[in-house]
Amino acid sequence: MLFILSSTALESQNKIIKDELGTPYSPAFPPQRIVSLAPNITEILFALDLGEKIVGVTRYCDYPRQALSKEKIGGMIDPNLEKIKSLNPDLVVGFRGNPLRVLERLKKLDMPVFVLEMGSNIESVFTIIDTIGKITKRERESEALISSMKKKYSKIQTALRSVNHKPKVFLSLHGKGLWTCGKESFLNDLLIKAKGVNIAGNIPRRWLNYNREQLIHENPEAIIILAKSEEEFAKAREWIRVGSYLESVRAVREDRIYFLDENRTTRPGPRLIDALAQMANLLHPKLFNPPL
Amino acid sequence: MEIKAKRLLLFLVLLGLFVAGFLISLLKGPVPTGPRDLWNLLLNQDKTYQTIFIDLRLSRALSAFLVGASLSLSGAILQGYFQNPMAGPFVVGVSSGASFGAVLSIYLGLNMTIFGFSLQSIFAFASGFTIVYLVYLLSQRKGVFKVGTLLLVGIAAGALASSLTSFFIFLKSESFEQAVFWLLGSFSLSDWRQITALAPYFFLCFIVAQWLAKDMNLLTLGDETAQSLGCPVNRVRKIFLTMSTLLAASSVSVSGIIGFVGLIVPHWIRILIGPDHRYLFLFSSLTGGIFLVYSDLLARTILFPTELPIGIITAAVGAPFFIYLLNQER
Repeated sequence: MLFILSSTALESQNKIIKDELGTPYSPAFPPQRIVSLAPNITEILFALDLGEKIVGVTRYCDYPRQALSKEKIGGMIDPNLEKIKSLNPDLVVGFRGNPLRVLERLKKLDMPVFVLEMGSNIESVFTIIDTIGKITKRERESEALISSMKKKYSKIQTALRSVNHKPKVFLSLHGKGLWTCGKESFLNDLLIKAKGVNIAGNIPRRWLNYNREQLIHENPEAIIILAKSEEEFAKAREWIRVGSYLESVRAVREDRIYFLDENRTTRPGPRLIDALAQMANLLHPKLFNPPL
Repeated sequence: MEIKAKRLLLFLVLLGLFVAGFLISLLKGPVPTGPRDLWNLLLNQDKTYQTIFIDLRLSRALSAFLVGASLSLSGAILQGYFQNPMAGPFVVGVSSGASFGAVLSIYLGLNMTIFGFSLQSIFAFASGFTIVYLVYLLSQRKGVFKVGTLLLVGIAAGALASSLTSFFIFLKSESFEQAVFWLLGSFSLSDWRQITALAPYFFLCFIVAQWLAKDMNLLTLGDETAQSLGCPVNRVRKIFLTMSTLLAASSVSVSGIIGFVGLIVPHWIRILIGPDHRYLFLFSSLTGGIFLVYSDLLARTILFPTELPIGIITAAVGAPFFIYLLNQER
């Protein structure tokens, strides 16, 4: 009897969490050497005040600035297993966007891997942050982060409640060309939440190269370009304005071509709600005056 | 069937396919249009219809046609030149060289335009040329020119260029869409500038090839025989090699690598109407152009509104048909 009691008490203290691959994980003590396998994970770890515990990040992890000085373990698709092993981590945080064979290999090498979900909508960011908080024993920090994000989120939602016209949007993913996001991408969810209509939102794909004539036919009211820098954005906008035969599109005629930071918008991490706010500002400028 | 009748028949079939292909390309698209709209456009120049018919659909079909014609002509020249049905713009390393130049310029972030040509095209052009010229030099020994060596060196150089291309794409792994474009080709963003950049090369090379077609026929008898029959072998060879490079590099810089066309089309035509280059060049160009017009129609409709890379179509359609023809021949 006593034994059962103590074991349940222990269990509630050390909750066994299963990761996305179904592997049980029970954090016995706070991890001291963490390797992150994705930029959004790195951002979350820093936001939970775990920056000093991070020993390895991917070559794409560039935010916050301190992430740049961490050891690089390779990319998201091609992390170097030997490098990871040499860092002697007590927690490797990956996600379903890492190749399955890499994650399984890491597990086979007896490394303490925890695999997070890919993130398919805004709500999943909260789950991801919550899970990271649990496995790193930073529940208090993660709860605080989530609640501040949710507060911002509900503020945006309240402001958007009065919207009765949802503008049609084309979201351009890269510098040049018409790559965009389909129904299965979480950027589509972001557009929906910002009360916009993605013209490629009914296509059951994550990313796709959109037909140019169809773009003219859909005649979106706004074009959002995800770019790494203002400079990259300016180039992309120039291409859309001149010589791409898109002059007749409403967004081009009315000069509603907008810039969103690619990293902030595409990473399911702490900055996502800010990206949503920015997107809502762009799509409904009159509503957010002054901007959020 | 007599060869003359065969040629006439093939020509009529191709003509029909050509007209039909362009008509379908003009009429088919997301904006519903019928023959009447096309007629209206000719009569009263509506701005929206002008963009749709002329700038989007016609320019796309035309650049597909020109690229297909250029690649096939390049392949026909190379196959005659090396007297080897295995030759093609890819086998000799031109296409890989050109795409390497283009990808390198992307990697270096060069986005300038000089005299209407993007630096990217110029790079593609230059490195395609460099590769072929190197191959040409390396396969010469004391003025003696060995066709077999040239082919092998071409394959090696092409492999090197491809590996460098992959390397730079890998280094800049974020620009996935660029990789897809350069490795599988696309006409989704073609415009009139590309056509004006491509057309002069194609027509110039086509006319010269047609003009020198008899000499190419002589070359197939062997260089010595050709020389003794009055063909300036060395000069003719240089001209042909330059032209095939020019054709392949200019098409790659417009549309990325589109596989199989340059290899297969001249082969088909040879099976159908025989090896006389006076007709081979003309028919290969026409067939290659038509083939790409239809392939592009598929590329933009199969997963509409998603654009499919055209290289997937050309290989998927071309390869089985090729095997079928080879089988028939036996």
